[in-house]
Amino acid sequence: MRLSLDQVERELAKLWEQDAHSAGGSRTELMTLVALVSEPRLLERAQTVVSEVVKIHASRTIVAVWRDGDKPSITADVALHRPAGTAAVCGDAITLEAIGTAREWLPGNAERLALPDLPVCVWWVGDLPDYDDLFDRMVVGADVVVVNSGEMDLRDLEKLSSIATRSRGHYALADLTWIRLRTLQDLVARFFDDAEGQACIKDLQRITIEFAPRPDEQDAASTQAGLLFGWIAAVIDLSPEGVQWKRGDGWAEARLGGVSARFEAKARGDVRPGVITRIAFDAGKAHFEIARAEDPRVYTWSRDVPGVATPQHTLRVGAFEEPALLVRCLERPKRDRLLETSLLVGSSIVKSVAPRLTAPPPR
Amino acid sequence: MSLEENPFRVGLETERTSAPSVFVIFGASGDLTKRKLLPALYNLAVSRLLPPGFSIVGFSVTELTEEAFREQMHEGISKFSRRKPVDEAVWKDFASRLHYVSGSFGEAANFAKLREKLEELDRKNGTRGNRLYYLAIPPSLFPMVNDQLAKAGLVADPNDASKFSRIIVEKPFGHDLASGDALNADLHRVFAEKQIFRIDHYLGKETVQNLVALRFGNAIFEPIWNRNHIDHVQISVAEDIGVEGRGKFYEEAGTTRDIVQNHLLQLLMVAAMEPPVAFTADEVRDEKVKVLRALKPIVGSDVAKYTVRGQYGPGNYLGKPVPGYRQEENVSPTSNVETFVAMRLELDNWRFAGVPIYIRAGKRLTKRITEISVHFKDVPHALLMQDGSHIEPDVLAIRIQPDEGIGLRFVAKVPGPTMMLRPVTMDFRYGSTFGGSGPEAYERLILDAMHGDPTLFARADEVSAAWNLITPIHQAWAKEPPRPFPNYPAGTWGPKESADLIERDGRAWRRI
Repeated sequence: MRLSLDQVERELAKLWEQDAHSAGGSRTELMTLVALVSEPRLLERAQTVVSEVVKIHASRTIVAVWRDGDKPSITADVALHRPAGTAAVCGDAITLEAIGTAREWLPGNAERLALPDLPVCVWWVGDLPDYDDLFDRMVVGADVVVVNSGEMDLRDLEKLSSIATRSRGHYALADLTWIRLRTLQDLVARFFDDAEGQACIKDLQRITIEFAPRPDEQDAASTQAGLLFGWIAAVIDLSPEGVQWKRGDGWAEARLGGVSARFEAKARGDVRPGVITRIAFDAGKAHFEIARAEDPRVYTWSRDVPGVATPQHTLRVGAFEEPALLVRCLERPKRDRLLETSLLVGSSIVKSVAPRLTAPPPR
Repeated sequence: MSLEENPFRVGLETERTSAPSVFVIFGASGDLTKRKLLPALYNLAVSRLLPPGFSIVGFSVTELTEEAFREQMHEGISKFSRRKPVDEAVWKDFASRLHYVSGSFGEAANFAKLREKLEELDRKNGTRGNRLYYLAIPPSLFPMVNDQLAKAGLVADPNDASKFSRIIVEKPFGHDLASGDALNADLHRVFAEKQIFRIDHYLGKETVQNLVALRFGNAIFEPIWNRNHIDHVQISVAEDIGVEGRGKFYEEAGTTRDIVQNHLLQLLMVAAMEPPVAFTADEVRDEKVKVLRALKPIVGSDVAKYTVRGQYGPGNYLGKPVPGYRQEENVSPTSNVETFVAMRLELDNWRFAGVPIYIRAGKRLTKRITEISVHFKDVPHALLMQDGSHIEPDVLAIRIQPDEGIGLRFVAKVPGPTMMLRPVTMDFRYGSTFGGSGPEAYERLILDAMHGDPTLFARADEVSAAWNLITPIHQAWAKEPPRPFPNYPAGTWGPKESADLIERDGRAWRRI
């Protein structure tokens, strides 16, 4: 049943009351999670994700979607989140549907429906539009804003970098693809935990990042690969200035100072497009490598530093599904300087091979 | 250079990493290894928290090949790990790091064999002489293992920054003050205090750590956490099961040594300590030990007045008949050992002077629950109760297990034309709020030991101070004639004297 917005709180109160009556349920909620669904085809995905997230972070969820239409209006559906097989309610669910120009009214109405005194997380579901002020208006007053650079093009790293700069002091920007990279970052960091590993950093000559390309992708690297390299370059202090690129069929190579970074597209059907499948470092006679095994969730980690015994490791990476990533964003809702730096350095490096962004915006 | 100097670690979530090491388990063929230690280590491997090269060596009297040891551990992990089924890719890697040495702990040759194995792993896996020794053996064997480790040159100098040796010991830490101190002295002969990690798995529980968060992460509780606002505190550690085949151990220990001296007093310390200046090992443990030092000793005639002992007789568990303690395996039919204890404690300090702390612990009680409840004082004036009836005071209850959470009981007006008040509860449940399952206590504690962080481990002076309270009580009990045990049927809340202990003060045990 579609409700008008003035009925939403009343209907939810009834549902909570019924729950308290039947199950004696208690109400604990940690935040309001607003999912802005940029395309109607993503609605079901967004609803599935938020219903998984509330199992871990009991919340009020507001999933907002917009469709074309002549008569501007916003209607709502309400329900309680009750995971299958359990009696306990873990939040309430509001779905807003905006028709036509009523899309512009979403920010104010979402704010009105947010729970008092609790953080608000805004999750933009899908690719960020280039020129749309809904995003800017929605993030006013948000505590955490979540995007997914994996759904964007390489050129969007620069846009994301400028969003990260604007977010300072206002909200914490989180990127699901960045969260996905954390395991790889940890595995890379392990190469250099001991003095022998750290001694190799100054000798780094070559970095290879292999990734699974998106169908028909023409970019020099995936956003995930660009972001990871941005992080590596920032850590080892490689200046993006004067970067020289070479490109071939399925590969691109950047040269920064004495270090070359090679991005190679390696088609692989069992992983998401854009994800990294192998990283290797060469530093003098030392070689470091992380590669996905046949099982795409298993990595082999190996290090060959002359004179230092290090056995190869096989490691399982955690669930990298969207709900798990979103939960991890919500666990540490604070400014992520490392993401900001990696976006800044990474987008500067790839800028010249993602030329579309340098074109002037349409008027 | 050290881990802290790795530029790739800056800003990462996993800034805390430990150096490659070998984890040696003494008593590797025992129950603890199979049920707790290996599942915890395996889960750390699944969570990618073990450093490269990390290896495990099981050491036990039982003759086993490495292959048989691995099989046993796989079986244990399949059964007892919180993650099921076993991830075979991770297991394969983990199993390749599992090794086994058999032999008695008394023979130097076996420790030479162990040394050879450890040196081989250093060469092969780059573990660089870093060792964690886990004593999953009876305390009576600690001195022997200690001596052999020292003689075999397997203990690094505590001031040697290039490698570490740490020893993890399980309770019981002695059976009275003298033996506890003797055990500490014995450990100190070989290991410095900073190398010793006395494990009490209660401290690894998320909810115990959450008690610290509740008290010191919120501004609203600390101002009322004192004698001006608190009427009394109750701490219950209740188990519904019996001794479960541990009759021999229980005959020597009893509930006071098994639960009160360690777990229960740990809960009391965390609930009553002053805010430490930092959340670091010595600062936290300094504050905890001050609580124990402030406990008013129970000696002489006060023992009979402020303590109650009980022992369960036959009764029922979940509607089925169960035997009494004296009918359990390896228990004397005339045993005088307590399976229940209740005490009235007091803290002689500024914050809690005059606030009684009632504690109780026991086996075969009505239900399994561990809880700390803080009972606040009555309102000063019964303004709202026109019929003169009593307004139920507020209670803050911290449930440690099961169904971890925090509940606040307060009064609210019953809707209607008259001012009727009724207690209501506001409940926070970890499970439904945060979902998922966190790491097991052993995972957290083993990881802390690998990092060399003893914050959640008991320090020698804590152990002594705990025995200082318990030993005079035991001595007084020993002088009394045997109690008329059993004095409570299985499946009840303990002997009547337990209720009397608190009712004498005009209070009652909280219904939990």
